[in-house]
Amino acid sequence: MSEPEGGKRRVFLKVLGGTLGASAFAYAMAPLRAWTKDLSAEKFLQKHYKELGKEEIQKVIARVERETLEKYGAKVKVKDQKPIEGVEFGYALNLSVCIGCRKCAEACHVENNHDRKTNNSYIRVLEMDQGSFDMARGDAQYDHAVPAPGKYYLPIQCQQCDNAPCVKVCPVQATWKEPDGIVVVDYDWCIGCRYCEAACPYHARRFNWTKPEVPAAAVNPDQGILSNRIRPQGVVEKCTFCLHRTREGRLPACLEACPTGARVFGNLLDPKSEIRWVLENKRIYVLKEELGTKPRFFYFFDV
Amino acid sequence: MRAAPTCAPLSPLRPSWRCSLRVRARTRPRPSPHPRLRPSRPSGATSIHVPEKLESIETGQLDQNGKPQRIACVTCHTLRTPEKLPESPGELVRFHQGLVFKHGTLRCASCHVVGRQDSLRLADGSMIPNRDAMLLCGQCHGPQLRDYQHGAHGGMNGYWDLGKGSRVRNHCVDCHDPHVPRFLPTNPVLRPADRLLPPPIEKPALPPFPKLGEAHP
Amino acid sequence: MCDGPRETREKTMQKDSHVATYPRFLLRVFSGAFDGGARFYVTMTVLTAIALVGANAWAQQVANGMHLTSMTDHVSWGLYIANFTFGVGLAAGAVMMVIPAYLYDDHEMHDVVIVGELLAIASIIVCLLFVVVDMGRPDRFWHIIPGVGRFNWPISMLTWDVLVLNGYLLLNLHITGYLVYTRFRGDKPAKRWYVPFVFLSIAWAISIHSVTAFLYSGLGGRPFWNSALLAPRFIATAFVTGPALVIVLLQGIRRLTSFHVGDGPIRTLTSVMRVTVLLNLFMLGSELFTALYTGGAHAASVKYLFFGLHGHRGLVPWIWTAVILNVASALLLHLPQTRKSLGLLDLACVCAFIGVWIEKGMGLIVPGFIPSTLHEIVEYAPTLTEWKITAGIWAFGVMILIVALKVVLPVLTGELEGKAPST
Repeated sequence: MSEPEGGKRRVFLKVLGGTLGASAFAYAMAPLRAWTKDLSAEKFLQKHYKELGKEEIQKVIARVERETLEKYGAKVKVKDQKPIEGVEFGYALNLSVCIGCRKCAEACHVENNHDRKTNNSYIRVLEMDQGSFDMARGDAQYDHAVPAPGKYYLPIQCQQCDNAPCVKVCPVQATWKEPDGIVVVDYDWCIGCRYCEAACPYHARRFNWTKPEVPAAAVNPDQGILSNRIRPQGVVEKCTFCLHRTREGRLPACLEACPTGARVFGNLLDPKSEIRWVLENKRIYVLKEELGTKPRFFYFFDV
Repeated sequence: MRAAPTCAPLSPLRPSWRCSLRVRARTRPRPSPHPRLRPSRPSGATSIHVPEKLESIETGQLDQNGKPQRIACVTCHTLRTPEKLPESPGELVRFHQGLVFKHGTLRCASCHVVGRQDSLRLADGSMIPNRDAMLLCGQCHGPQLRDYQHGAHGGMNGYWDLGKGSRVRNHCVDCHDPHVPRFLPTNPVLRPADRLLPPPIEKPALPPFPKLGEAHP
Repeated sequence: MCDGPRETREKTMQKDSHVATYPRFLLRVFSGAFDGGARFYVTMTVLTAIALVGANAWAQQVANGMHLTSMTDHVSWGLYIANFTFGVGLAAGAVMMVIPAYLYDDHEMHDVVIVGELLAIASIIVCLLFVVVDMGRPDRFWHIIPGVGRFNWPISMLTWDVLVLNGYLLLNLHITGYLVYTRFRGDKPAKRWYVPFVFLSIAWAISIHSVTAFLYSGLGGRPFWNSALLAPRFIATAFVTGPALVIVLLQGIRRLTSFHVGDGPIRTLTSVMRVTVLLNLFMLGSELFTALYTGGAHAASVKYLFFGLHGHRGLVPWIWTAVILNVASALLLHLPQTRKSLGLLDLACVCAFIGVWIEKGMGLIVPGFIPSTLHEIVEYAPTLTEWKITAGIWAFGVMILIVALKVVLPVLTGELEGKAPST
């Protein structure tokens, strides 16, 4: 330090540079300010769904209801429907009668409070060529009168796999299979890495690329904490077989909407259920069986 | 949207084979097949929806509320009895004009009887009320009736678990027009509008199936 | 530490205690990081500016949602994960200097091996940042911390990746930190404190890239990735990009610092690259043959990537650029002239680096999603936000590397010593 003058100047410049750098950083990060305002400590520290006690879950429900009112202007009732003992759900779809009207996709869109702008739905219907089972020949965007000659229709939604690739890959156990066979997502635990989207062979998962937009009047107030409550931005969601309905004994929305009765839903453990009759008496196949995912969703034909 | 569920309970049917139409209404608790299976405490029953068109027809006019005006069959048919059934819909010039009929080789008389507009005639000659038309359909469409009885055809609303609530099944004529039973083409709803979804691809059509004798030229 | 009390006392008598030297070491290193000539300040200012632009773009992406990217439910990973994959390779490739140095006892390589390790540290940090910016909910980062959140180990490959990447980071931090600190003190490094870690890091380097490959190859629904050859390909490309960058880096160090870099290491790394570029091209060829000769739906992604599918050809220019660059680097590396000309060697390295960046980044991640699992074709081209964030992270990585080299090299040359100030 033979040059105290130069040294001082150097220190001064460093301090100046540091200050400028820090303020530039603060400026660059400014967009986060509004975002963090929304993030309370309670929300930040919220435990995994499976670790929440009874009272804690009530608190979470109260918060979700409050936020829905604040952000969407809709008064909703959120419940925590639990799996029913002795019930494992199965779903079957009759390809011989499906006409591809997409009423099921629309019912899902409305029931599950999907983003209105993107026509989001958990069901994607492929228009397929008669004589081909190659999805590469399919088209999801068909927009002409149905059923079109020479075509058949293949609605695809979450297959609720027993050996679900999405559950395997999730790094934080934010998605899991419930005792009644439904694969659910804890929307408050998902970190949004989208590994499950990459893993799913059925295009069953959706990511909230932005905050979903639903007009207050269109919000379905009958909600489940693991199912159709309005999802936060930045997390993954999926079909839950409408567990907020089906765990209360009701039929899923897509089934009720089907004008051809192509859909059959019920309890796989009940040998007298409709779904069991279909599985035992119809020609059944599952989608991409060779992948070993063991779906709970079955397709069948009239014979 | 489908018609408002003006439901009627399944009518009691006399002959034994007709009883099979009774949808498996779980009105009595069944013995649990599985020890873990929850005993079902039935609170609901299955009923079949009775569509309006079984007892009335559209007049082609709107009522005060702007809804299509319907008129009950009996309104005209008590006043007037046709002499005989026409051979084909083309003969209908004064009433039921424009009726389209596309249902195989059936004739009007296959199901209808002059003077019995509230009833339908089965192949064995017995008469059934219009609302039980499913039996009539089932005479030819056995597999469909079988599937329907097992909940695998026809669709429904309400509860999958009859221990928790009731269920309404669709009637054949809810979905199929008895005179033109095949589904008419409809426009699909809710076309996908995902972000960045490109316009659909034109894919070349599959080659047609070769005809007999053409396969190996 | 496990030094016996007697030994420790002796050491303390000979040298200053660690309690005194370690803080001094940190202080010197820290102040060294911010000292430099005009060229250093200009470089760092420019890099800081780029990093800040990236930080700003990321803040907006977090606040407004990831619709600012062009990722979709069809192509759910894009530029970020592509760069992450490439970065892991870069980190693993740096170990290519450690193997000759320690396994084959190459003494000249011994002297410069630290450069590779610093590169590994910088690239791992880059990788971790790419994972963070790809997360839809970075605020929930703690959910993935083992023991704190709910860590889906050992089933999820991503948890393995978290473990091996952070483990590799710590390993390299320890090795370089230890070597530099002992040199700073003027001690001779005790072998047991770093040699086992060096050998561990060799195996670990292979593991980080294998695990990253398994991330993709384990997905049965994505035929493009579902190949046993993916991990070997990853390793081969890692051993292309790592040495390529180090070769260029060593020349830069030779020119800009007084640190001695012999020709030996550059020669060794060039020989490594001569093998790995060919190996990579061979494996790429095998993949192409298998897919295209078989045909069918499983070849759709390959067709899309190389030739376009149903009029969609977004990645075709990218991949052919990569192929041309990779072939060019292979040819250059085998030209007799390249043995004499550093310029040609550098060109080969740049070609290989960019070629692999495309092939293993955009050329590997994006076609995995096209066509989608339902065979829909939604293309992907990064948005400005994605480019800004990507540039920002790389700029930050380069800053780390420059600062690390700037701090470490003077210690190694003895310009920065840990003896108590004599004045």
